[in-house]
Amino acid sequence: MNPRDYLPVTETLSPSNPDEVASCIRHACESSTPLYPIGGGTSLDFGMPPKAEGRGLSLSKLNRVIDYPARDMTVTVEAGVTMKVLAELLAKERQRLPVDVPRADQATIGGVIASNWNGPRRYGESSLRDSVIGIGAVDGRGLPFKGGGRVVKNVAGYDFCKLLTGSLGTLGVVTQVTLRLKPIPEQSALMACSLPDAESAEKLLAALIASQVTPTAIELLAGPEWQTAPVLADLGQSSPSALYLVVGVEGTGLEVESMLRQLSAEWRELGVEAPLVVGEGALLWQRLIEFPQAGESPLVLKASVVPSGVTAMVAAARRVDPDCSIQAHAGNGTVIIQLSRFPTGGLSRALVGNLQPAAAAHHGQLVVLSNPSGTEMTHQSVWGATDSPLALMREVKRRFDPADILNRGRFVV
Amino acid sequence: MTAIALPPLIDRLRRAVGTENVLAAQSDLVVYECDGFTIEKNSPDVVVFPSTTEDVAAIVKICNAAGVPFLPRGAGTSLSGGCLPIGGGVMIVLTRMKRILEINLRDRYAVVEPGVVNVWLTNALKGTGYHYAPDPSSQGACTIGGNVATNSGGPHTLKYGVTVNHVLGMEAVLADGSVVRLGGPAEDPVGLDLVGAVVGSEGTLAIVTKIWVRLTKNPQGHRTMLGVFESVDDATAAISEIIGAGIVPAALEMMDQGILVAVEAAFQFGFPLDAQAILLIEVDGLEAGLDQQRDQIIEICKQCGAREVRLARDEKERLKLWKCRKQAFGAIGRLSPSYCTQDGVVPRTKLPHILRKIIEIGARHDIRIVNVFHAGDGNIHPILLFDERNAAQVQRVLAASNEILDECLACGGSVTGEHGIGVEKIGFMSKMFSPTDLAAMKNLRDAFNPRGNLSPDKMLPTAGGCGMEQKHPGRRAAL
Repeated sequence: MNPRDYLPVTETLSPSNPDEVASCIRHACESSTPLYPIGGGTSLDFGMPPKAEGRGLSLSKLNRVIDYPARDMTVTVEAGVTMKVLAELLAKERQRLPVDVPRADQATIGGVIASNWNGPRRYGESSLRDSVIGIGAVDGRGLPFKGGGRVVKNVAGYDFCKLLTGSLGTLGVVTQVTLRLKPIPEQSALMACSLPDAESAEKLLAALIASQVTPTAIELLAGPEWQTAPVLADLGQSSPSALYLVVGVEGTGLEVESMLRQLSAEWRELGVEAPLVVGEGALLWQRLIEFPQAGESPLVLKASVVPSGVTAMVAAARRVDPDCSIQAHAGNGTVIIQLSRFPTGGLSRALVGNLQPAAAAHHGQLVVLSNPSGTEMTHQSVWGATDSPLALMREVKRRFDPADILNRGRFVV
Repeated sequence: MTAIALPPLIDRLRRAVGTENVLAAQSDLVVYECDGFTIEKNSPDVVVFPSTTEDVAAIVKICNAAGVPFLPRGAGTSLSGGCLPIGGGVMIVLTRMKRILEINLRDRYAVVEPGVVNVWLTNALKGTGYHYAPDPSSQGACTIGGNVATNSGGPHTLKYGVTVNHVLGMEAVLADGSVVRLGGPAEDPVGLDLVGAVVGSEGTLAIVTKIWVRLTKNPQGHRTMLGVFESVDDATAAISEIIGAGIVPAALEMMDQGILVAVEAAFQFGFPLDAQAILLIEVDGLEAGLDQQRDQIIEICKQCGAREVRLARDEKERLKLWKCRKQAFGAIGRLSPSYCTQDGVVPRTKLPHILRKIIEIGARHDIRIVNVFHAGDGNIHPILLFDERNAAQVQRVLAASNEILDECLACGGSVTGEHGIGVEKIGFMSKMFSPTDLAAMKNLRDAFNPRGNLSPDKMLPTAGGCGMEQKHPGRRAAL
């Protein structure tokens, strides 16, 4: 993504260390000029399209690995390190940050934290927020601050790791993070089944709650993007199905083998005739990771509902657009919807009138992940009606960024 | 509390929540003068027991109108003085808000009131195949509201995480008496993660009145082992090797010889009393993988010089082992009239170093120190034994405690892994954090609690001083 396509920036600053970041912010604060932090630029279309002209603040030169004490299973890196570089570094020690991110070669850890990205493995592994144990940032006045530390257990002071994760760079520009790591499991496998309708999907999803299997990922897939020839080849299917449930399991060889056997038995008992053993399924895993940013969808949405609301959310999306493609991290209640065309009745009607109430009915919310057309991107359509205490959030924002220079107008606050 | 008229305040509180829910007699108030941190004591002026969120909001508004400080309290098991009513004022005790409001297995959450005792939820979930993962050793007494305030841990946090990793949402009363809902049963609520900010804020940001917690599937099986070592160094090396081998035990706890003797005298498990250290190691998960992990751990322990590795033969023996561990602190009375438990964290690979340092510091100050702690997390709990009637010894205990915590910081660690800053460790905040870090923390507190009348003088050092000067060691117990 070219930042200029998304951000009203006259220039992009590229500081090369945290002090320079602080200096850029201090100057911006003095002149009340908005700054738009930029990581890998893979999610610049997330959030409200900003209006106020300002400068970009690229973190790409903050790309040093500060410390990787592998035996402590933590790593400290600067915010501009890409997810791919990080994964390659950790893989040498058979470790990983179990967070799956699209376009890992560009996406940076700082950007991933700012946008609170989580992928399929969230169900069985930790969420991103649980993996960040130390954080350094610079606030809207140019003052550096940190929270947490480099140890896996620590309750000294307020937890800025949590506060900054998902804050979209509005409270501070993240410069450095310490992450808690997991071992890479010996083996990984996918098992899938095709399902005729939402009802049968819910039956299987509910059964996974009591299952003896402990999946890493529970993915419910629907729509044309999952009916292409390459996907069918991954699944070993000759004809497409309306819905697929894909379960990822990881562990030692013995564990993976036993889970596949167990899951197959449980599914057969529930009436699944032929569970599809995908095996290692590297290609399908990759599709599951890349889906939210793959393809040319004119509108990508994300609903976060209680897990039992996932199939209802899928149904609601298909009522708005029968040709939409959907990936749900069904164990967590995350539903990513790629519409096949821009809603004919307009964005507001589709979201405010249909999909937001559908999410609310299941204790959830719906946000716009990407809308390349940029039309109708109002607060209400992008973030939905939120029952979050906005006044309190604004007060927090004001204390950290009194001049409102960090990502002005982009986030909820 | 000075300058305000107490009787009208008490009257207003009685009218708001009922006479039977307000304590104001000095003989009643003395119970609330401290929590598990017993050095510093101060009675609140009034204790109130709300039954609902509306009660809490009404109480807070009355306190604001009267200009008195107020603070929440759960079971009072906090070990850092988080419940100490500095400046007196109104203590809001949440133990009558003790209902489990909902258990939803399909969506893997439960909704509880803050006064629900941690173990009640575990008991209510028996037979469902699910549990609430955070299990502090005080779980039989401590409340989930208190766990939220201190972001409590416990032995099983090594694999399953601490309280903040299991809290989805909350309803809370802010310092101005307004009620907010943060998060809820669904993940990723839109906006700032204020749930994450409030958990572990030690009652300084809000009074939590309802909590949505994540439920965790029970593991299919366990293997619980006891590694017996001839030296502390060998045991800590084994910890490092186990973690380094890519095994994530459910729990990995260490007890040294000093504590073993006391635990054995109390519980007669059959611990070898001549061992210098034992590791209590538990792996859990799918049955299919457990024997392999068990064998791997036994092998690693032996390579690191373990004299023997015993296996808990059945569930009864496993529970007895855990009882010995969780109640180890109760056994310390056999060793010494008084004791002070510290709570520090180091990177796991620095465990051999910090334990050697603790021995050295103990010797230099002529203080006996025993250890029982969450080794897998690098969370140490050195217990300093002393007699509080001996003033010189008391001073040496304080000096030794501070040296140990300083050494944790020098190792890149923290001065508290799970007990909190409270009032006890306020002096360490400026050692761990820079002035701008602390200013950012104050910004956050001021956004929630601008007048500072909710839990005043906790966690953050005030501008002029660096916390109170301690004359006596704290920490009679630990987790």
